[in-house]
Amino acid sequence: MSITWDAIVIGGGHNGLVNAAYLARAGRKVLVLEQRPRVGGAAVTEEIFPGFKFSMFSYVVSLLRPEIIRDLDLPSHGLHILPLGSTVTPMENGNYLAAWADHDETRRELYRHSPRDADAYDEYGRLMFHMAHAVKPILSMVPPDPTSLAPRDLMGLLRLGKHFRDLGAEKFHALYKLMTMSSADFLEEWFETDVLKATKSASGIIGTFLGPRSPGTAYVLLHHYMGELDGVFRAWGFAKGGTGSVSESIAGAARRFGAEVRTDAAVAHVLVKGGRAAGVVLANGEEIRARTVVSGLDPRRTFLGLVDRKELPEEFVADIERFKFRGSSGKVNLALGALPNFTCMPGNGPHLRGAMSISPSLDYVERAYDDAKYGEFSRRPFMDIVIPSLIDPGMAPPGKHVMSIFVQYAPYFLKGGWTDAKREAFGDAVVNAVERFAPNIKSCILHRQVLTPLDIERITGLSEGNIFGGELALHQLFFLRPAPGWAKYRSPVRGLYQCGAGTHPGGGIMGASGRLAAMAILEDRA
Amino acid sequence: MSRDPMQSVIVIGAGVNGLVAAHTLAGAGRRVLVLEQRSDTETDASPNVGWVPPQVVKELSLDTHGFAVRRTDPWISSALPDGSRLELWHDVGRSAEAIRRLSLADAAKWPEFCARMRKLGSVLEALYVVPPTDVETTDPMELLRLAGLGLRVRRLGKQGMIDLLRILPMAVAELLDDWFASDALKGVLGAAGVTHLHQGPRSGGTAFGLLHHHVGSPTGVFRPPVSNVSQVLSALPGIEIRRGATVTGITLKDGRATGVVLAGGEEIAASQIASSADPRRTMLGLAAPGWLDPEFALAVRNIKCRGVAATVTLTVDRAPDFSTLLIAPSLEYLERAYDDAKYGRVSTHPWLEARADGNRVIVHAQYAPYELADGSWDDARRTALGDLVVERLTERAPSLRSAITAREVLTPADLERRYGLTEGHAYQGELTLDQILFMRPVPNWGHYRTPITGLFLCGAGTHPGGAIAGASGRNAAREILHGKD
Repeated sequence: MSITWDAIVIGGGHNGLVNAAYLARAGRKVLVLEQRPRVGGAAVTEEIFPGFKFSMFSYVVSLLRPEIIRDLDLPSHGLHILPLGSTVTPMENGNYLAAWADHDETRRELYRHSPRDADAYDEYGRLMFHMAHAVKPILSMVPPDPTSLAPRDLMGLLRLGKHFRDLGAEKFHALYKLMTMSSADFLEEWFETDVLKATKSASGIIGTFLGPRSPGTAYVLLHHYMGELDGVFRAWGFAKGGTGSVSESIAGAARRFGAEVRTDAAVAHVLVKGGRAAGVVLANGEEIRARTVVSGLDPRRTFLGLVDRKELPEEFVADIERFKFRGSSGKVNLALGALPNFTCMPGNGPHLRGAMSISPSLDYVERAYDDAKYGEFSRRPFMDIVIPSLIDPGMAPPGKHVMSIFVQYAPYFLKGGWTDAKREAFGDAVVNAVERFAPNIKSCILHRQVLTPLDIERITGLSEGNIFGGELALHQLFFLRPAPGWAKYRSPVRGLYQCGAGTHPGGGIMGASGRLAAMAILEDRA
Repeated sequence: MSRDPMQSVIVIGAGVNGLVAAHTLAGAGRRVLVLEQRSDTETDASPNVGWVPPQVVKELSLDTHGFAVRRTDPWISSALPDGSRLELWHDVGRSAEAIRRLSLADAAKWPEFCARMRKLGSVLEALYVVPPTDVETTDPMELLRLAGLGLRVRRLGKQGMIDLLRILPMAVAELLDDWFASDALKGVLGAAGVTHLHQGPRSGGTAFGLLHHHVGSPTGVFRPPVSNVSQVLSALPGIEIRRGATVTGITLKDGRATGVVLAGGEEIAASQIASSADPRRTMLGLAAPGWLDPEFALAVRNIKCRGVAATVTLTVDRAPDFSTLLIAPSLEYLERAYDDAKYGRVSTHPWLEARADGNRVIVHAQYAPYELADGSWDDARRTALGDLVVERLTERAPSLRSAITAREVLTPADLERRYGLTEGHAYQGELTLDQILFMRPVPNWGHYRTPITGLFLCGAGTHPGGAIAGASGRNAAREILHGKD
């Protein structure tokens, strides 16, 4: 036992790294342990095929908290966001719906589909802007426990109550609707154009095991509206060099503050001595001591995988056991020899620099969910397609491209289980579905990587391949994330903290969980 | 003007809520005229499904007028694919005994599940007999009530509070999967969660539906009570009921409701009007929408009331071998039934719940959506639906087939035509989380008032909504009597 660390952070995903950086910044001696050869978790860039680099899992950035970018001075560590300008939805009839970076152009485009919707669009945008602002403070807030009578919790609840009252009736009611409605019903109140509702509703289903007509999806819609890049709401972008460079920049900041980051170091066990976390044991048997252990892994892996059950209260274990993951997304990464030719907008053009959303109608997206509901992958899935190499040429060899296809739904619990053959069949279904809108796609493909939720789990460790570290369902948010009474980044084991997306506010490359956990640790003087 | 308008109130509709409002107002000295479009009293004779709050029973002395809740045991017999039935009883232990045949673990959990749901049901019961409180309120009395409510919730204890906050937004399927393994048991409970909802059991908020339909029932019974309340109310003296009087409009003067116009052109004046018709019909159909603030009109137009159920009444020449027969053997069965409705089709395998009532069997059939993808409801489609329901029902209750002597099918379109229910929605608005409490009927107007002075809403379209017989009517009447206008 030569060295004792102040804190060990398990998992070098973006939240773990943010946590380590904040702890190190406060003078703590911090060690980050990452099982894979590189940091990043689900935010990694990998050269899957020679010369072709991919943001293997998470592929766009917008939710990263601006205070983290500032506090850790991430641009000086190489963070550079390239804006993603547009979203184009090809329709079954050869038409399309486009949203461009230029507001007036988008309005004109909408007008083509429906003058009424073009008018409603601005008002809708304003409402969502207000809603995102209303929720924003909650993202940086430690959830108070409504069942506790501790003065801090009561104060927290009062503050929260006051926050909502200060919104005023109109905004409060709108927020309440967003929290409880389905994205389809919510959008129905605003728009009449089906393809517009379908495309908007798609952001309400991402990472969930719900269809656009299921209540609860309007909240996820809002969650994705909270993206904040350089202070601009709703702006999505690519990280230059792929999503991995976000992780690398945070790791760089952590190192500059003095943290040590070790890769190829899988943690097998959290050491608990006398009811207190004392360190970790690695898979190779090495024991590392620390006063504080922070887990960036999801709640199931942390508490049911790394901690001896007898150290935890039975009720807590039951709560963690019923915390839902149900991964529903897959990813297909393609190396392309040429650019795809979309029927609705032939040739190369600005549309290829943005996202192509395969969400031609609400029924299309809903039917994709129907398949998953009964244990099949969607025969015609919802897809979000980007070609990062057009914006960031370093991602592919000259003249060639990389295409990233986010796919939903691919249920973790596939009927009969996932096999190599099923994975390929899923990959084929995805490519076939793209082909309906870009007929030359097959001839462009040089290599293909297909990732099922099972693969996501196997590679990143995310339980059931859920990209948000646990479903973003209403009953798993805020003071219920991950378990009632334990939503403040602490755990029943003293000295053991949680900092992953399985805690409030969860999901997306946001970093808020990592930061809030660091605050809790520093406050405890742990 | 045929009447002295002083202190007179017109109640539109002689349903349970209309009649409770009318009697409550009459009891406080108002002169009340109830206008009912239907001329027969056939509906009154039908058993009424829904909890009649004890306050209503007591205040209107319903007990001394023959009010009776009918409790059948078993409260449900679920027909299972293997030909057997799962029977659940008022006696929790006896139900557990029946469940044991399907799952030992489920049987062991049944008593605790029932106890925990009952606790939450009692919170809803307390919420339902008072007007909804908006957290945005600044009225000191309202704030006091809000604080009282908070205290009540706190008294649930830690477990109860977490249950309440966690369960309300859940999908009933998720809640049930947390507790039970038996498909049959989950089918019984899941059906309660989706009653009159354009949702399946996997949709968020349906766990609230389960609790809502548990309200007023004893521990371990997850269906609303059945009573003769309509019959008792219409025989109760003290009010005048005019049947066959269809209200076609509400007359206004200077933004105030002054009376109503009947189909024949007759005008009747009143100082106040309470409409138990649904909010969309009342505000957009009877009151000239041109008078309304566009924001309000839009909110009313946006009330979701997608009718999803048909009622099939079978006349039988001998009693069936069940009191309440359920066909919803699993959550997946319900979810697939919903899938059809989602795309505008009648479920090929609908959820059926058949209640024996003397020489009749009354069948709730869901999903039969109001809006069909391939056209609209007509005679052929109605007949096809009737055939389907009888076919599916007699598959599981074969002896019923030869007992049927007549049948009547009411599709959502028929319910709309006959009872004026917009889109044939029996609850006058879906009971989804965004349309309950202070959001019902529309935000900011949860106090039974409307932007038109003197015009009140008192039907199921207001808080607490359908399956709670008379609470909306009572809450509205009290608001008319004690409100500030």
